[in-house]
Amino acid sequence: MSRPVSRPTIVVALLKKELTAYSRDKLYLFLTILTLVAVSVLFQFLPTSVNETLTLAVSPSIQSMVSGAQDTLKGLGATDEQLSALDNADLTGQQEGLDLVEFGSEEEMARVIEGKLEAWRTDSGELVLRDKEAGDAKPENAKRLSLDIGIAFPANFIADVATKQGDIAVTIYSDAGVPAEIQGAMRSFVREAAYQLAGQALPVGMPAEDTIVLGQDRTGDQATIRDKMRPMLIFMILLMETFSMSALVSTEVLQRTVTAVLVTPAKIGDFLVSKTIFGTMLALTQGLIVMLVVQALTPQNWSLLLVTALMGAIMFTGVALLVGAAGKDFMGQLFYAMLFVIPMMIPSFSVLFPGTAATWVQAIPTYPIIDILVGATIYGATWSDSWGSLAYAAVWLVLLYGAGLLALKRKVESL
Amino acid sequence: MSLRLTWKLLKKDLAMGPRSPFFLYALLLPVVMTVVLQFAFGSLFSPQPRLGIVDTGNSEITASIREMDGIDLKRLTNPAELKSQVEKNDLDAGLILPGGFDQAVKAGEKPDLQFFVGGESYASNRIILMVTAIDRLREVEGAVAPVKVNVVDFGQEGLPISVRLVPIIVFYALVMAGLFVPGSSLVEEKEQGTLMALLVTPVRTGNVLAAKWMLGTLFAAVMATVTLAMNNVLGANWVDVMVVVLIAGALSSMIGITVGVFAKDSTVLFGTVKGMGIFLFAPSLFYIFPQWPQWIARIFPLYWVIEPIWRVSVMGGSIVDVWSELSVAVGITVAMVPLVMWLARRMQSQMAAG
Repeated sequence: MSRPVSRPTIVVALLKKELTAYSRDKLYLFLTILTLVAVSVLFQFLPTSVNETLTLAVSPSIQSMVSGAQDTLKGLGATDEQLSALDNADLTGQQEGLDLVEFGSEEEMARVIEGKLEAWRTDSGELVLRDKEAGDAKPENAKRLSLDIGIAFPANFIADVATKQGDIAVTIYSDAGVPAEIQGAMRSFVREAAYQLAGQALPVGMPAEDTIVLGQDRTGDQATIRDKMRPMLIFMILLMETFSMSALVSTEVLQRTVTAVLVTPAKIGDFLVSKTIFGTMLALTQGLIVMLVVQALTPQNWSLLLVTALMGAIMFTGVALLVGAAGKDFMGQLFYAMLFVIPMMIPSFSVLFPGTAATWVQAIPTYPIIDILVGATIYGATWSDSWGSLAYAAVWLVLLYGAGLLALKRKVESL
Repeated sequence: MSLRLTWKLLKKDLAMGPRSPFFLYALLLPVVMTVVLQFAFGSLFSPQPRLGIVDTGNSEITASIREMDGIDLKRLTNPAELKSQVEKNDLDAGLILPGGFDQAVKAGEKPDLQFFVGGESYASNRIILMVTAIDRLREVEGAVAPVKVNVVDFGQEGLPISVRLVPIIVFYALVMAGLFVPGSSLVEEKEQGTLMALLVTPVRTGNVLAAKWMLGTLFAAVMATVTLAMNNVLGANWVDVMVVVLIAGALSSMIGITVGVFAKDSTVLFGTVKGMGIFLFAPSLFYIFPQWPQWIARIFPLYWVIEPIWRVSVMGGSIVDVWSELSVAVGITVAMVPLVMWLARRMQSQMAAG
């Protein structure tokens, strides 16, 4: 005579069995820990800044060109208005996105761009040139500059242009690897500076600066590679558990241990519930650890991230049940797992590209999951910003998890 | 150890190999990787400024920018759509050129310029697109620049990202064909009991392992060569390339045999390779990011074969240039033999114990 056992008790017993089986497999346990450690280490090495600045060398210095022009123009009989215009001219004014490095000599600038000299900038802003081959020591408290392109103006450039002298030539020194658009922009930049100095106003009306920026201006605050990898790593850890979980399910099916379980008071429903809970917890726990390691959780996004990770974990468990039920052996199960996992990875790569993902990428079931993770971790999205993606993810979750449950149930019944 | 028996086993593996899903993966993966990485991600690491234009009057500006190198131009028909795409960062900047714009510029009417930049666009891209657009406006105006600009180029152009991605694709070819195929083949023989059946014949474990190792070496060398050819980096020095990819195949296959002998079943095999993944893959990343300290790559075993492939096949060098790297690769391969033998003895004991 045995007393009736409640369903929750059976599920808990099955969960204990799952946990014992998992913890006995020292290799999987070791690899899980190794993966988490590797992710943490990798994350620490990712770049934490975005270089959105063009570094441009110029010679001679702007100040010397301006003062030289003042003297020359005075000598040529320039009026006070003209000299005032010169003072106000924005020749190569410092602005966002442009870092100007001034050289006293054209030859030195050319040698730096050619790679024969090193240019360093000290903490106080002073430019130091180093001839490594000649045995010069590294300057202290200085950072090496990467200079690929520079503009050599003639010494009397301003005066010559302002007084409309002919045959004025400016030389752009460039490393051959500098992209065509930057070389082109530098040519345009020099020509426009000359137009302005020559008093030729723009042939169009320019809009006010604050009206031309659409969306939140993130200049100086761009998402870094580390920012972008944060949601990607969380997603990948969740997704990768599909392999482990499908292996656990297929082993149970192939070795028919499930039939042994079903001669106990446990029913198929208990088996499916325990697999779902175990798979979900396995993925979610690792996802949570990664979230903590990559510092993704904030007081604003933690609830949204947890719910999204939970949805992702259930969705991938559903896929694992489907794959685990379909495989006739380990290799076959792995083959099916790859068929599902590789396409489902694609949306995560869209994080690395600027702008909106292609329509076909958005149609992939995992897109809403990565979309919410990206929004919450990079752009501060809230529940209200994410409801559309949450609803979309919920639809895919129901479909995939439902398909997984049905496939495994039919497989177990057929044994 | 009988060479004749090893050769027979190799012929059997070559005949049976295509039935394995990993064989199919090894064949398909380099093709898929080439397509995906070259066509989809080739522009990821060297993005060009993206400019959208709504041009209802066939402006000369549009035609001029279209002919320029380095600017990704997209034509749209609806100003609202243009602004939406700029705001969503699908474009870095947008330019609206209404009908009659060019005529107005030429007539000196100073029409308003409708130029927009996305909040997420990089400052450098904003400068490039704005300065370029203004220069084209000057052309339309018919202005003659008061200055002549000469360009002096130094050095040679850097390698495009499509070439720097080649080590990653070759890595996958080596791992799938050289590591997974012999490793999984060995494990499958263990799981299906055919290894035990073989060992009751005159075949020794050494014959089986040597045959699997040769299978992986040949298959990895062939797939690496195919991958290099698909990526247009197989030059005239093909003899040197053959030697390098054979040594690369030998090392990959030795790792595969080691894992295959160690793993008691497919789950352990897959789990082990999954765990080793980052360790194996790491050196390929240093070709994508040449600014990283390159000495770190030397820590990883596959560096010693990927670097020679890079220098000989991609950079057109010769065997002489990479003899030290190849020596290390051969050294690692040989040094793994005692480990494989020890693991093989352990495997035999486990099989004997049932």
